[in-house]
Amino acid sequence: MSALRKGIEASAMEAIAGTGGITGARRYRFGPGFIGFSGHFPGNPVLPAIVQIRAVVSLAEEEGGKTLRLAAVRSAKFLAPIRPDEDVWIRVRRRVDSGRDICDATLSVAGKTVAAFQLELAEGETPR
Amino acid sequence: MAAERLIPHRAPMRLVDTLVSVSDGCAVAESVFPRSVMMADGEGKIDEVAFMELIAQSYAAFKGYLDRMAGKPPGEGFLVGVRHLEITGRAYAGDRLLTSIRTVAAIGGFAIVEGAVTRGDETLASGTLKLWLVDPDVDGG
Repeated sequence: MSALRKGIEASAMEAIAGTGGITGARRYRFGPGFIGFSGHFPGNPVLPAIVQIRAVVSLAEEEGGKTLRLAAVRSAKFLAPIRPDEDVWIRVRRRVDSGRDICDATLSVAGKTVAAFQLELAEGETPR
Repeated sequence: MAAERLIPHRAPMRLVDTLVSVSDGCAVAESVFPRSVMMADGEGKIDEVAFMELIAQSYAAFKGYLDRMAGKPPGEGFLVGVRHLEITGRAYAGDRLLTSIRTVAAIGGFAIVEGAVTRGDETLASGTLKLWLVDPDVDGG
């Protein structure tokens, strides 16, 4: 497991039961020492976009009980920066669209959506 | 030119090493991930999310180069959107990755950028990003 994934797992807080089609939700708190803030940016820490997407994939893996890989980012919107020690709620909803495994996700801070994604996930390895 | 002179990212989150070429809204940047990079697992496989950051940082290096040529310090930029990023290959620590970017549109403080990450003849990922560019002369950033 990568250091990034370990850092994300260590930042995971409580989960809540999903409702209304949401298949997974968990709170995260990325502290100032979280590896993803290192160098991004000096004196102005912002949670990198790739950390946000990796956290969504990890939560989808957790909910589905299977290792997944990111096959595509159909769309992603980053609406506001996420700073250290903010409580970030990640909500994921899985569905199948034309045979593809789609994960709709939102990240919210203090009740406001700060990012929204539509990801395509897949099982198994990407060929080298 | 070394990317560290062109972008605000620093290790371990600076993923682009060198801006290799620039021409007419396009650029190519080079990256070689060390085994210790935070996105690498124990076998040296790089997490797919890194491709998106490579495209974003490559564009940032391109823009930083243009800023320097204009006698300004490189401005900051933020990724605000991604469209149709397809991931078709796997990168490993030690691979020489080239990221090509092309500026599709630049309107106000926003840029639409197409990018592709390749290893040799193989395309590992490609897609379109939207970035917000902070102009230090206008935004005080």
